[in-house]
Amino acid sequence: MSLLCDLQMRKFYHLPNDTTEVLLFLQQHTIEECIAHYGEDNREAITGYLDFLISKELGFTDQQLLPELTALDLSWDRYSDITNVIIEYNENIDYSSAFFRQLFDLHIQGLEIRCYESISLDQLRGLLDVFNGTTMRFIKLVLPYSNALDLPAMDKFVKAYPPVKSLLLHSAPEDKQEKIFEGTVPVTFFTRPINSCLGCGEIRSNYFVSNMELFTESQHFNTCLNRKLSIDAAGYVRNCPSMREHFGHVNHTALQEVLDNQAFQRYGKIRKEEIATCKDCEFRHVCTDCRAYVEDPQDIYSRPLKCGYDPYTNTWEDWTEHPLKQSAIALYGLEKTIR
Amino acid sequence: MSQQILILSQSHLEGTTDHVCQWLHHLQIPYLRLNGEDLFRLQHLSDLPGNAGVSTVWYRRKISSFPAKYTLKQPDFSTQYTLKRFLVDEFNGLHSFLFYSIDRHKWLNDPISEDYLNKLHVLALARQCGINTPFTDVVTSKTAIAQLLDSYPELIVKPLSECIFLEDTEGGRYKMLTETISKENLRTVPEQFFPSLIQEKITKKFEIRTFYLDGDCYSMAIFSQNNRKTKDDFRNYDHQRPNRTVPYQLPADLASKLDQLMKSLRFKTGSIDLMVDMQGNYHFLEINPEGQFGMVSYPCNYYLEKKLAQWLSKQHSHEKEICQ
Repeated sequence: MSLLCDLQMRKFYHLPNDTTEVLLFLQQHTIEECIAHYGEDNREAITGYLDFLISKELGFTDQQLLPELTALDLSWDRYSDITNVIIEYNENIDYSSAFFRQLFDLHIQGLEIRCYESISLDQLRGLLDVFNGTTMRFIKLVLPYSNALDLPAMDKFVKAYPPVKSLLLHSAPEDKQEKIFEGTVPVTFFTRPINSCLGCGEIRSNYFVSNMELFTESQHFNTCLNRKLSIDAAGYVRNCPSMREHFGHVNHTALQEVLDNQAFQRYGKIRKEEIATCKDCEFRHVCTDCRAYVEDPQDIYSRPLKCGYDPYTNTWEDWTEHPLKQSAIALYGLEKTIR
Repeated sequence: MSQQILILSQSHLEGTTDHVCQWLHHLQIPYLRLNGEDLFRLQHLSDLPGNAGVSTVWYRRKISSFPAKYTLKQPDFSTQYTLKRFLVDEFNGLHSFLFYSIDRHKWLNDPISEDYLNKLHVLALARQCGINTPFTDVVTSKTAIAQLLDSYPELIVKPLSECIFLEDTEGGRYKMLTETISKENLRTVPEQFFPSLIQEKITKKFEIRTFYLDGDCYSMAIFSQNNRKTKDDFRNYDHQRPNRTVPYQLPADLASKLDQLMKSLRFKTGSIDLMVDMQGNYHFLEINPEGQFGMVSYPCNYYLEKKLAQWLSKQHSHEKEICQ
């Protein structure tokens, strides 16, 4: 199958390869030429494809080919060396230290703060105050559910900290989705506990995103790790909390040392086209990937362990049951998290 | 004395300036951003940036709003308005001093031409450059409109200057947008009226917004025709069904004529509005020398903020060489 991505409307359409072939042919040819090429028998099918495109406002018909409608430039760049940060919160770490100051001077755009243990709103305020005055535009909070965190309290809280744009409450009594701050901030209640990073890295179709940022970055870089940095609960700097290697402790390492470290930068350069199976997958440029848990832990170019999609048969299966994945599951110690 | 890039902007509601500054910061190019609001903390006139310390100037915005409210001791509506006008003039008197104190060749766009850009003049210049423009006239009477409707089935009326926002006493806000006049609604037009700009209405296939930067055109096609709400003016935005915006490459001869037009105005940058009619003909509408380009940059993935930062940097190095 193929994927037609509407990056502007943030939608994607799963299409048979035959349809895609016709659409690609139409880039250079008129509708009548196309019908002549594929045969009169296919007229109905071809006009059906066109009706679909027009109904989704993906195209229009005209009296002439318009070569001026050029292809989108797929280059990608950002004005910061690090764009996204994940912090596994630990109350014993000083988040106002030099390392964090240097980090947030880089114009970080997104920050996820994961709290596995309960944290009071006062502690949270103290933490968020550290990032006041930075250019941070998006903060996601992952917190354990507590009675004190009712919707009115959270509403008041996010109004005081506008960069907080999303909340996830784990260990909640029920799975549900709410919205606060006049419907602008989603709050996800999740019944399972999130008490380590082992649960991360799942590939699911509802995580797929079709937008300009991800699609263009994915052409050149690894969307999971490129220009991303994490500080784990022990204060170690990593590409992501789930990655095995660390690049020093925040108390003893300068940020520039991490950024200059070739080993830190290497994962960010792994494109989907270089990853087994993913390179043939139609979802590769709307997918987030995962380089921390891979099917063959000896091979960084193997596909994400926690992906159950088979692009050759176009079927989703439960990855946890897959016989070929069992040894990697054991090696990463994921048995408890998945069963 | 070390020189730097000077950016004249405003302190908020200016994402484009913020992005360009962040690119400059990332590319490690020294710059000074002077917001209009900063002039309210000026200690002495000599604190303004001077010619010697400035390599190149990007004049983006003047000011968003005065940082403090100024009132008369005994206000009434008409004096209040007069005072407001007066304060704007006072502010401009200070701000535009920079136009004279910093050498004109250092400015990305000639700041005085930019502030006094005349739509009719730009249309006339465009025609001189061989660019097709819609039939344009300025009229004051219904009879003149009635006559023109014999040649053009529909006309549009739009300001000679810039569109404004109006507020009523209840705080309701009204946008001034392009309106259509045809034989059907001609009766609503008064016999005599204030001199008004009218143009033939072009039935558009799509609109084009081009960001021009020193000879290069970065264009975007805007498809709004399917969308009744935005038929006359795409600024009347539909958030449920946004206009389709895609990259577009202008024909080389049109691009070179636009280049000629921009050069004749001494503009190195600006946003150009064009329209393509149902037959595929191009019609030039206007130039906004300080037009928003974020709305072209993002959907077309052009990285215009980065390109502008790199351009400023190139100018900066060039100017430094001359000085040495």
